[in-house]
Amino acid sequence: MAKKFSVVGKPVIREDGIDKVTGKAKFADDYKFNGMLHAVMLRIPCAHAKINSIDFSEIQNDESVFSIITNKDIPGTKKVGVIKNDQPVFCNEKVVTPGDVLGMIVGQSEEKLRSLVNKIKVDYSTLPLLTDPQKSLEPDAILIHPETKSNLIIHHPLRKGNVEKGFTESDHILEQTYTTQLIEHAYIEPEAVSAIPLGAGGIKIIGSIQNPFTTRRIVAAVVNLPLDKVQIIQAHLGGSFGGKDDTMCILAARAAVAALKTDHPVKIRYTREESILESYKRHPYILNYKVGFAKTGKIKAMRIDILADGGAYCSMSPFVTWRSVVQATGPYEIKNVHTDVRAVYTNNPYTGAMRGFGSPQPIFANESLMDEIALRLGMTPDEVRKINGLKEGSITATGQRLKNHDVNLLNVLSTAMKNTDFKKKWINNKKKESQLGELDLSQPVLKDSQYMNPDQLIKKGIGLAISYRGCSLGAEGIDAAAAYLSIQNDGSAYLLSGLAENGQGLRTTFSIVAAEVLGISHEQIFYLETDTSRVPDSGPTVASRATLMGGGAVKNAAEIILDRLISLIRKEWKLKKKDEIEFKENKIFVNKNKISTFPDLCKLAANRGVNLATIGWYKSPTVDWNEHTGQGDAYFTYVYGCHVAEVQVNLGTGEVYLDRITAVHDPGTVINKLGAEGQVYGGVTQGAGYGIIEEVTTDRGVIREQNFDQYLILTSKDIGEIKPIFIQGKEIFGPWGAKSLGEPTLELTAAAISNAVCNAVGKRFFNLPLNLEEIVLGKKLRPEEIKRGSLQ
Amino acid sequence: MKTSIEILTPKTLTEILGILSERQEILTLIAGGTDVITGLKQESKRFKDTEVLVDVNHVPELKEIKHMPEKITIGAAATFSEIYNNSIVSNELPILKKAVSTIGSMQIRNRATIAGNFVNNAPCADTVPALLVYNATIEIESMNSKRETYLQEFLQGPYKTQLKKDEVVTKINIPVPTKSFTGDFYKLGRRRAVAISRITLAVLMELKENKINKIRIASGSVTPIGTRFPELEIFAMENDVNDNLFKTLASRMGEEIIKITGLRWSSAYKLPVVQQMFYQLLKGIERRSL
Repeated sequence: MAKKFSVVGKPVIREDGIDKVTGKAKFADDYKFNGMLHAVMLRIPCAHAKINSIDFSEIQNDESVFSIITNKDIPGTKKVGVIKNDQPVFCNEKVVTPGDVLGMIVGQSEEKLRSLVNKIKVDYSTLPLLTDPQKSLEPDAILIHPETKSNLIIHHPLRKGNVEKGFTESDHILEQTYTTQLIEHAYIEPEAVSAIPLGAGGIKIIGSIQNPFTTRRIVAAVVNLPLDKVQIIQAHLGGSFGGKDDTMCILAARAAVAALKTDHPVKIRYTREESILESYKRHPYILNYKVGFAKTGKIKAMRIDILADGGAYCSMSPFVTWRSVVQATGPYEIKNVHTDVRAVYTNNPYTGAMRGFGSPQPIFANESLMDEIALRLGMTPDEVRKINGLKEGSITATGQRLKNHDVNLLNVLSTAMKNTDFKKKWINNKKKESQLGELDLSQPVLKDSQYMNPDQLIKKGIGLAISYRGCSLGAEGIDAAAAYLSIQNDGSAYLLSGLAENGQGLRTTFSIVAAEVLGISHEQIFYLETDTSRVPDSGPTVASRATLMGGGAVKNAAEIILDRLISLIRKEWKLKKKDEIEFKENKIFVNKNKISTFPDLCKLAANRGVNLATIGWYKSPTVDWNEHTGQGDAYFTYVYGCHVAEVQVNLGTGEVYLDRITAVHDPGTVINKLGAEGQVYGGVTQGAGYGIIEEVTTDRGVIREQNFDQYLILTSKDIGEIKPIFIQGKEIFGPWGAKSLGEPTLELTAAAISNAVCNAVGKRFFNLPLNLEEIVLGKKLRPEEIKRGSLQ
Repeated sequence: MKTSIEILTPKTLTEILGILSERQEILTLIAGGTDVITGLKQESKRFKDTEVLVDVNHVPELKEIKHMPEKITIGAAATFSEIYNNSIVSNELPILKKAVSTIGSMQIRNRATIAGNFVNNAPCADTVPALLVYNATIEIESMNSKRETYLQEFLQGPYKTQLKKDEVVTKINIPVPTKSFTGDFYKLGRRRAVAISRITLAVLMELKENKINKIRIASGSVTPIGTRFPELEIFAMENDVNDNLFKTLASRMGEEIIKITGLRWSSAYKLPVVQQMFYQLLKGIERRSL
């Protein structure tokens, strides 16, 4: 390693950790204000309906109702969206999904409002439902948003080479269809936001907000105020995983409308049921893959057709599916690629950003496919990946040549294999035929031959998946971030970036970056509350871009200050050019001799009138994209990862026991080892839940699992050892080459588990999640009614 | 959810019975609250008239676990954690201990009580099959009466029991199983903690010269309420223990469940799995006792 770090790469406990575990940290719902009112939502239990009228007469004179808020009260834009303005703040004409809100009642007692909201009479006519995305583009399909003339949200084509020619040159052709399911983010804290009217017509918002600047833009548009009149403060956030973006923007806007109308602070807070009902989810995908390959294992051509269910609103669908089109082949160099990714409207819950963002779905498909190619050719999973895997100088599916960083794909693969003794285990576990008994559903009573030898009931399997992932926003848009650093005259410092702490530990990471540059302790740095009025717009905290972009901005700010201090030292101590100045352990050394301490130097700087506050900036290099051909330098750099899953499958019950997940990642330089490991533990557990258990189901567009008694996520008892291993490849961008880790940790796990299950039982599964019924019956079972017997 | 609710905390059994002797229609007994509180919050019809909760947690005699000469008695309000950590239960009632260990999470086990589990009488009550194979009886008191009944008789239907509005379950009596008994408990959930059971099975048997001398079989979650299988038990008696018997028993259990429950949305999965896992359970018991 070129530079010896003092704090970068070491395990540092996150600065908000103690406050969070002791209950001192203030979350959005912990804020209370004088004269505060609550707002309660009005909805109808229907996924598609025309609203004829809303009759508030029964409640409007109730003393608990301070105000009624509808579409008419919105001073500005009535429809909003993070990309396209297709989502009404309040629906006044029709609803297109059951989460839709028609209006709100506002008053002091939330409890009373909740009992009154059911007395509002909504006259509506139900409209035909569109819940099958495969029917959404049919000529006679119902239009979810008639003004758009089509249910197509976006189509991303990618054309490289000539696939037909590639297929004719192939010795083998494989065609498969895979499906992935709708899932919920399942952040522990449901949405909460307060809007407080300020003097001079401004508004302050405090909430569980992932992207304060996006929220500010949307609130400002809805209440028709300039950006500077809208101040967004992020409370401590109880998880987001990409989920507190659109929903929070719209909730903040509703609260703001009510606060400005009533001239009172107004709080909206959701129950878990409302949170699951209204918030967006991960896109379900239907993925068709056709691959042609030579008997050597070399892939000649790949044709991919992906359909994403965008649900009722556009949300992030265009960007989610754009990442899919870039990465859909997986990390392989393929000469001929023909990909179409489409997202469509339906009456299903709308889908948007979720950790992974369009990558877990194609990874499940393409990594299943790679194992199938290996099995077809009698190869091991690594062999076929090594033949086709991206290397230094490889050309990706989008025609981008990989350069300027360590292309560590095959390095992470071989590290993961070595650490798990993969090849030996895979060959030992491999089954020639399916070990799962065929069940005849017309004969529910088992025959003697169907009972399994207890020694053969549990089968071991091992599987792997690899990926490459473009860092940050890529061609989605302008990519730049800011950080404010202000050193006080005692050597302590304020730090704030325009990116948000969403639980990933960004405050600590950024403090480490500033501390490393200035040779001080990260504990000397006080990270300020995220507030749009204190720091420049830095874009959203998404795409695993915070360490890379925000860290870059923090490093820039610290270096600006460092330069000023160095100039001061050179002048004060009358140093020559060749004299070496070093900032270390809160002290200043010249040619290895201590001349001052950091606090004394800061005091001197103050006395000499040196400005020790600055805004640092980091802007990404440009990328380019041709939206007609899907060709271009999609992202300015990439990260690489490999997960190995070791499982046991119970042939009797279909249970998949997760014994060990080995997660090897190249995130570039690791800034906080503890934070990085935490990302792996969390991401792997989420990814495993996606693989074997999680699923939101709907009935006529209505979500059935509206709380965690029915929407199941994995517990710590459901997952065995998680082993993070970091390969820190060289990188020219980001702070000392630190890149991305948050999303790579999640995207691979389900695919690795599915490959391990196939290794264990000798049968491949094509439809996530691999739950009990999927393994035993090869299909999902859906109850007609999921209402608890205990409620009858 | 109801806007206000009164909570009474009697300190003696007599006090409880006194409270229960009037205003019964608005009273609901509460122990751990893991069913009552969630039921109230979800506006379960079972609690629609509830205005007062009678908390039975503060009565010491309802929490005692005692080894009597012939039986073990467990106080109705003993929590699952207390039962799990009790040495009498560990020594004498391993199947109950195992059933208790599979319930919810540590937090739920610290609150939820044994009587609460079967008074609620959900089909998935985890301790019911274990208590059924131990031939548990329960003592029930009201101001004017005291009675003892077999648990199986007490359980009437999903979320329905014999318990009258003025009565409280005071203790569970379990005849001390002889040392010649062997058995096991099995639970299948969708995950390994905080899981509502999809299938539970309990078996207690006594082998004599490789024959089944006594056997008791019970299940949960596969029939409308937890139940014993008397016909299956009679069939098994005095048969030689061998693989064929186990397969026959398992398939017969499948037939019985179809008879009791009929075919439901979940049958395609649950029926083959309950038979397979019952067979596996029997094989496991056989292996350990040989």
